[in-house]
Amino acid sequence: MPNDEPKALLLAGSPEFWPCLAERTRSAMEFDALFALSALRRKAQARHLARPGLVQPRLRMALLGGYSLYPFRELLEHLCEMEGFPCELWVGEYDNYLSEIMDEASGVYAFAPEVVLLMPSERRCSYQGSLTDPREMQQAQAREVVDDLLGLVRQLHEKTGAEIFLTNFALPARHDLGAYRSRTLGSDWTFRKWVNLELGLGAPPYLHICDWEFLAHRRGLSARDARAWFESKQPGSPTLLADLAREVAHLLGALRRAPKKVLVLDLDNTLWGGVIADDGLEGIELGDTSPRGEAFKAFQRYIASLKQRGILLAVCSKNDHAKAVEVFEKHPEMVLRREDMVSFKANWEPKSDNIRQMAAELNLGLDSFVFVDDNPAEIEIVRQFAPEVATMLLGPDASEYVAELQDCRLFEPRNITSEDLERTQQYRSENQRKALLSAVTDMDTYLASLEMEGTIREFQPLDVPRLAQLINKSNQFNLTTRRRTEADLHALMADPAAMGISMRLKDRFGDHGLISVVIVKKAGDVLEIDTWLMSCRVLKRQVEDEVLNEIARLGAILNCRCVKGWYFPTPKNEMVRDFYIRMGFTLVAEDETQREYALDLRSFRPHTTKIAITQRAEQMSLDPARDIPAPLN
Amino acid sequence: MNRTEVFAKLQEVFDAVFLDPVVVTPELSAADVPEWDSLSHISLIIAVEKALAVRFRVGEVEATKNVGELVDLVLKRQGES
Repeated sequence: MPNDEPKALLLAGSPEFWPCLAERTRSAMEFDALFALSALRRKAQARHLARPGLVQPRLRMALLGGYSLYPFRELLEHLCEMEGFPCELWVGEYDNYLSEIMDEASGVYAFAPEVVLLMPSERRCSYQGSLTDPREMQQAQAREVVDDLLGLVRQLHEKTGAEIFLTNFALPARHDLGAYRSRTLGSDWTFRKWVNLELGLGAPPYLHICDWEFLAHRRGLSARDARAWFESKQPGSPTLLADLAREVAHLLGALRRAPKKVLVLDLDNTLWGGVIADDGLEGIELGDTSPRGEAFKAFQRYIASLKQRGILLAVCSKNDHAKAVEVFEKHPEMVLRREDMVSFKANWEPKSDNIRQMAAELNLGLDSFVFVDDNPAEIEIVRQFAPEVATMLLGPDASEYVAELQDCRLFEPRNITSEDLERTQQYRSENQRKALLSAVTDMDTYLASLEMEGTIREFQPLDVPRLAQLINKSNQFNLTTRRRTEADLHALMADPAAMGISMRLKDRFGDHGLISVVIVKKAGDVLEIDTWLMSCRVLKRQVEDEVLNEIARLGAILNCRCVKGWYFPTPKNEMVRDFYIRMGFTLVAEDETQREYALDLRSFRPHTTKIAITQRAEQMSLDPARDIPAPLN
Repeated sequence: MNRTEVFAKLQEVFDAVFLDPVVVTPELSAADVPEWDSLSHISLIIAVEKALAVRFRVGEVEATKNVGELVDLVLKRQGES
């Protein structure tokens, strides 16, 4: 039986049981396999089999819906546990979700979930009327279904602050109306398609669609199970339950982990058929040389589309550098060109070493990398010697490469910002700056030659996503590490006692975008710095000096006699331990958790820098006459 | 499959689904097994169908009174596609 190995480990009481169970879970595709693994997990827990590693706080997740949610909940529990985010589940009553959401006293609110999965009943997503009713009438009902759901979801989110996962609706898989199904909004087929479309396109940022329509589409007829509905009100077949559970676990993982950033590609038999060193430019298969060549070209086109949505591309090949680059420069059928790659390592060193070097050069963690190769030996070397890198072994048939990469699930974006679209260009600009730095010997000359320009503004609504990104992800150059959500930022912008400013920097090589964030509060005649952080991309450019100049300027306008700043040490912000001292502040108080610094504005002289500030915070949202009695903690 | 083989397979399924050991006999029913409730029953039957390559019809498992009758049902349904 397939569970023999984990079972044996469990009976022996070996802690190896847990990694083995996790490994089996990753490859278990069907319901019964997953369920059996989950049963083993519960047995191990019942026997208190020690599990080495960090104890994670449990994620509180509520499940509500128009279906019976067992055994779905068991699969979900298991997957979450195995993937490293154990859950504490609250499960609603069968088809009771409307009252569970609308009743303030309901258990779901007392539970205080961090995530809610809502599976609305498909029985409520059907046109009530005649197939021949006018389109406007049918569309009005569809609109109502969408609005009711979005309203329910908004209520849930407003009362709990939770992220909401909402399943959409599977489409029918039987012939039934035949071709007529697409001629009327009154058919389940078209009605549900319309509703799904509007749910997806109209989803607010806290709402994540659990795409049941897509999962059922992939599974076809095997997604449904009429008997399971009649006997125990199941959402679908066991196969579909497993798919849904995996999808929810994937969505949860995506909330906590950013998608991968870099795709590292092998060359021979990955981007073209054949081996360039042996076959030469004329001999490799690419594009119109052959059907197999067309398959490789299509693979390159798909990879180019990944670059378009913000993924960085790199080459890592066991090859002579000149021969490898020549293909990119000279082969007429190449879709990918040298400038599409942010790194190009063609040499005879181990690929794991090359990828490590790439990580250092690009200043990215190894866990942002994905390595793709057709050679299992190369994949194994990277798995062993750079285990944080995600790897994907391409199958034997080049015509499947696009599908395999499309199914890898490593690059799914949550949303795509304009920053993402510019990313490759930003890396190229950075390389140019590095080249300049190595050519110039003194810092002053270097900085002046960058021709830096900065603009400083108060927080703007359009900046909120980028501000939230910086505030929540900056760890190193961050004096107080205070995290705020987008909703918190909007509240801050409306608060007359506080002011947020951000700085953008560009130079002659490119635009760094928004790279520093400061939040200040006026307390009597003291201007308190609640938040000061900066992107590590712009260290040593004198950005912090200009930001300080601006803080001092604002302090003077607000009749403050001094500016106060705090340093809260964390494992990651060691680099700013002496920051305030360097900026000319004096230490006024300290204990185990923090240090407090002060800067006398009357004796402050602005720092000179090589940055030309072309815009300053103009609208003063802080009222100079207003006092805030409570000090910052 | 004969009756003995079906019982043996069922024992494997029960061992996989339930935490506490259960001895499968013809007289065994849900009333005898605390873990065997309406919820675990769903997963149990999914596992039985997979292990024995059968597909039951709506309502007929519920009509069986004990494991012996379930085995009769399995034997009846085996061989149907």
